[in-house]
Amino acid sequence: MADFYEIVRQWPLLSGIQVVTALGLLVIMFIPEDRPEVIKKVAAVFSGLDLIICILLFLAYDKEIGGLQFVEKFLWVKTLGIHYFNAVDGINLPMLLLTGIVLFTGCLTMWQLENRVKEYFAFSFLLVLGVFGVFMSFDLFFLFVYYDIALFPMYPLIAIWGSTRKEYGAMKLTLYLLAGSALILPGIILLYIKSGLWTFDLIALSGAQFTPYIQSIGFLLFYFGFGVLAGVWPFHTWSPVGHVAAPTSVSMIHAGVLMKLGAYGVLRVGAFLCPEGWVQWADLMAVLAVVGIVYGAFVGLAQTDLKYVIGYSSVSHMGIVGLGLSTVTVSGLNGAVFQMFAHGIMTALLFSSVGYIYDKTHTKTTFELGGMSRNMPIISGFFILAAMAGVGVPALASFWAELLVFISAVKVFPIRGILAICGLLVSALFMLRVVMKTFYGPANPKFAGLPDVNFWLASPRIILAGVIVLFGLFPWLMLNLIQVSTQSFPKVMGF
Amino acid sequence: MLDGLSFELLMAIVASMAPVLCFGLIMVFTRRSISASVTVGIIGSFLSWFASLYLFLHYFHAEEAVVFKGAWVVSASLKIPFGYYFDPHSLLMLMIVATISLVIQIYSIGYMAGDPGKSRYYAFLCLFSWSMINLVIAPGLLQLYIFWELVGVSSYLLIGFYFEKWSASEAGKKAFVMTRAGDIGFFIGIIILMLTTGHLSIAVFGNAAEVGNTGLSQALLTLSAILIFSGAVGKSAQFPLLTWLPDAMEGPTPVSALLHSATMVAAGVYLVSRIFPFYAASSTAMMVVLIIGTITMLLSSTMAMTARDIKQVWAFSTISQLGFMFMGLGAGAYFAGVFHLTTHAFFKALLFLCAGVFIHHFETNDFFEMSKAGARKMLIPMITVTIGVAALSGIPPFSGFFSKEAIMAGLAHKGNIWLIAGLLGAAMTAYYSFRVIFVMWFPKGEVEEHGHGHEGGHDDGHGGGRWAWVTEWSMLSVLLILGAITLVLGFFQKELEHFLTGHSAEHHGSQLILVLALGCALAGVILAWFEFGAKNAKQEGFLSRMKSVEALFSNRWYMDHAYRKLLDYVVYGGITNTFTRNDRVIIDGGIDGLCRFTVSLGRAVSRIQSGLLQYNLYLTFLVVALMGLYFLLV
Repeated sequence: MADFYEIVRQWPLLSGIQVVTALGLLVIMFIPEDRPEVIKKVAAVFSGLDLIICILLFLAYDKEIGGLQFVEKFLWVKTLGIHYFNAVDGINLPMLLLTGIVLFTGCLTMWQLENRVKEYFAFSFLLVLGVFGVFMSFDLFFLFVYYDIALFPMYPLIAIWGSTRKEYGAMKLTLYLLAGSALILPGIILLYIKSGLWTFDLIALSGAQFTPYIQSIGFLLFYFGFGVLAGVWPFHTWSPVGHVAAPTSVSMIHAGVLMKLGAYGVLRVGAFLCPEGWVQWADLMAVLAVVGIVYGAFVGLAQTDLKYVIGYSSVSHMGIVGLGLSTVTVSGLNGAVFQMFAHGIMTALLFSSVGYIYDKTHTKTTFELGGMSRNMPIISGFFILAAMAGVGVPALASFWAELLVFISAVKVFPIRGILAICGLLVSALFMLRVVMKTFYGPANPKFAGLPDVNFWLASPRIILAGVIVLFGLFPWLMLNLIQVSTQSFPKVMGF
Repeated sequence: MLDGLSFELLMAIVASMAPVLCFGLIMVFTRRSISASVTVGIIGSFLSWFASLYLFLHYFHAEEAVVFKGAWVVSASLKIPFGYYFDPHSLLMLMIVATISLVIQIYSIGYMAGDPGKSRYYAFLCLFSWSMINLVIAPGLLQLYIFWELVGVSSYLLIGFYFEKWSASEAGKKAFVMTRAGDIGFFIGIIILMLTTGHLSIAVFGNAAEVGNTGLSQALLTLSAILIFSGAVGKSAQFPLLTWLPDAMEGPTPVSALLHSATMVAAGVYLVSRIFPFYAASSTAMMVVLIIGTITMLLSSTMAMTARDIKQVWAFSTISQLGFMFMGLGAGAYFAGVFHLTTHAFFKALLFLCAGVFIHHFETNDFFEMSKAGARKMLIPMITVTIGVAALSGIPPFSGFFSKEAIMAGLAHKGNIWLIAGLLGAAMTAYYSFRVIFVMWFPKGEVEEHGHGHEGGHDDGHGGGRWAWVTEWSMLSVLLILGAITLVLGFFQKELEHFLTGHSAEHHGSQLILVLALGCALAGVILAWFEFGAKNAKQEGFLSRMKSVEALFSNRWYMDHAYRKLLDYVVYGGITNTFTRNDRVIIDGGIDGLCRFTVSLGRAVSRIQSGLLQYNLYLTFLVVALMGLYFLLV
């Protein structure tokens, strides 16, 4: 196997992902609209290929050496210093794997889509092209372009295939995210000019000696610019509304991957390029994160729409990522990156289960459902498993992330850390409340006889559930990888 | 992960991992076939029990604790090991857990016969055994916490097993959230320990010689000890987090026997006794343990005196016995607490399982009705339940007598006030438990004998036909086994003490305490006899003449009402409502307002360029006038 990985390391796998995604998009475009079955199969095959490449990357990355690997770099526009620069390290590799898993399972989840299948999958692939791009680019110019590519398709995807105030949701989401990217662009230009290096190369820029003042402004711009997408309180309200309005697989990608884009941006661009600013604003970050954790959980307690509940739980869980980032410690970063991954998988499973239930019952209001465990035991089981992961039950992936974040948070900000831990109680209360109202109690006779998932429909959920359990039981598989890069991050405390 | 696979390690892995393997097998493969699931579950539990027995015997004479561990998570300087820690205390507890798990699974063959969810039931039982076993043999507090949480999850699933009943799923949720409230303190406590000492090894915190060398300040030690104790308060249903346990009786009766008497709730006591030297280093923490134990013991005893539901009586008695254990530990009597934990595990499981037989047979939980329906004709369960009650009340020669006496001696050593509280509790315990027994043995009023009332029988609709004896004897044999253990366990006090502490004290307390304890228990029994057993007894407790007190007791001192109010007014009505309105009105309203403002600004600006001459002239005039004004003034 070692020899095989040695060979694999020579392949341009990162460009491979983008080529496969783009090819998938292209092929879908050329299939006539009246052949939805073919389109779905093509989408499944290409997303499956993406996933295979991501797994290969995950396995072949050499943790002994660490650093940037699978580097593909050449100068693209010489006068501006724009490079085509792709690479992976311990931070973006989990994100790429996450994107691969969510894309593939999302495509399988949408097997029953009937309305405008072709456009739907085309937009989805375009979206994911952007997401993959952001995660693999080490050039700020490409990163920003990919970032906007990832944001744009959300509007049509929600406004056309969505439900529940979809135009409002789509508009709100787009405005928020564009407002965010309106902060990112000046940030990038600021660093580009002030560095005096005339390059967008992230690694080169990190070597530039920015004054603390520049770093402070730069970090703030990136924190709020990317932070909007990560659902930082009080810029979070687009997220539940957007989740609710979006169709199932878009919710999966949106909550599962897109929100991580924000947190990743804060870490990769903000913290990496402006470490002084990061340390300076850590206090503020921690406050907003803790407010987000507790506040999201409390608001979630009042919701009766399943998707709203998941939306607010995302606000709460992304708060944990924010808290991890604010600690400026190795363990905090480990926890934050792991939480991004774990939360992505978990929300994807939640949305995917709700999507199926909504498909069959045409409602996602908790009190209209009730007793679903009797009518649809298997899909209910998946939801309950994911909800348990959300509550922070051990042996499921997100537990480890929360553990690391909380330990380092208590070390750095004792009071805020303890407050965040107390938020766990509220999140347990609201998750279990929803599980009880929806899945327990007497079965609603209206939904008796509705079919549960068969093996093929269950397959995407099986994959997601398997990933949650796998990394829950064997967390070191992921943490050892993440640690390779967080240890050498600028300014972090070695805790 | 673990270095060097020896036979002992293999056995440890079998003991700890066989149940979870069975959980996986049942959930993934045999869910549809009940008999296959039952077989898998029982084989798994048997393997686990057998391996535990091997380890117990193998390490019985070991001089030092045996540790196997490997890294589970390493993050910078943070190291979280996974492994096994075998010392007398964990071996004893392992034996208790594995034995009770096994007998409960055997008993459930009969009890759950005919239930369509039996596969799920066995899977959850396996999940529970796995969590509990790994909790018990954890080498570090963090692993203990992790499996502690998993115990909480599996108990949530088992309590809410009859999920179509709202009451059952409510009870499951309540148990989970309430124990979690305590767990948060536990979690914060171990984080503090980890950050200040750098590790959470039980080998250190459980060793009197090492606790002093950890570099903890006295204040931090006390703080973290109390925080960790709050986890035990939640799990062991101590005041003020005790109201989940009576509700948890919504689960199937064998589950109540397994979780809510013998193992899960005992985990709290185990936690404190596990790191007992750590607690002993802080007199404040010990006092907190003692006080909480006393309050709980007295409160729950009063609650048990008015309950008519047999499972409720046992539930309250469980809480009060756990309170006793904490009193023992808090008073510094380590062995007494652990010994009572051991005896209690067996006799309380016995009591619940007897109750299960009656409930299964008569389809009611009310022991007055059971009595009327002819409970006393079922000889085996009646005799075993009487043995259990005698042990619970501390009547010699049953096991509970010895352990309770040891606790009384510890309390007397601490101070007379604690001894008096303990004696009062013992009297109440004897009263409420013999109340049940006398009512069941001596039915009053008309006795309706149902047609199907035959000894140890069950509804024919359940097991049916050729295999009926299996369902019947799976339950009865377990009662006999546990009854026998209850009879003899008390006589092994010396051996157990030597095993656990390395020495056995010649004599525990004075004769006086022995007489006092016995006298109080007998007083309770006699009172119960005159009110419920004697020929002309009306079967009404003395409490029924004090209506307000009875209402207070039967409403559980209104603790549930208080929690309900807290949830409704503070959590839902207060915080949640405020935050939700803030989201909608201030944040969303603000953003929507900003959007509207932008749009109307755009409209206003667009009007400037409307091309109408008079507007343009008007604007030009305005601007010129303003500029003129500005220059005039400056």
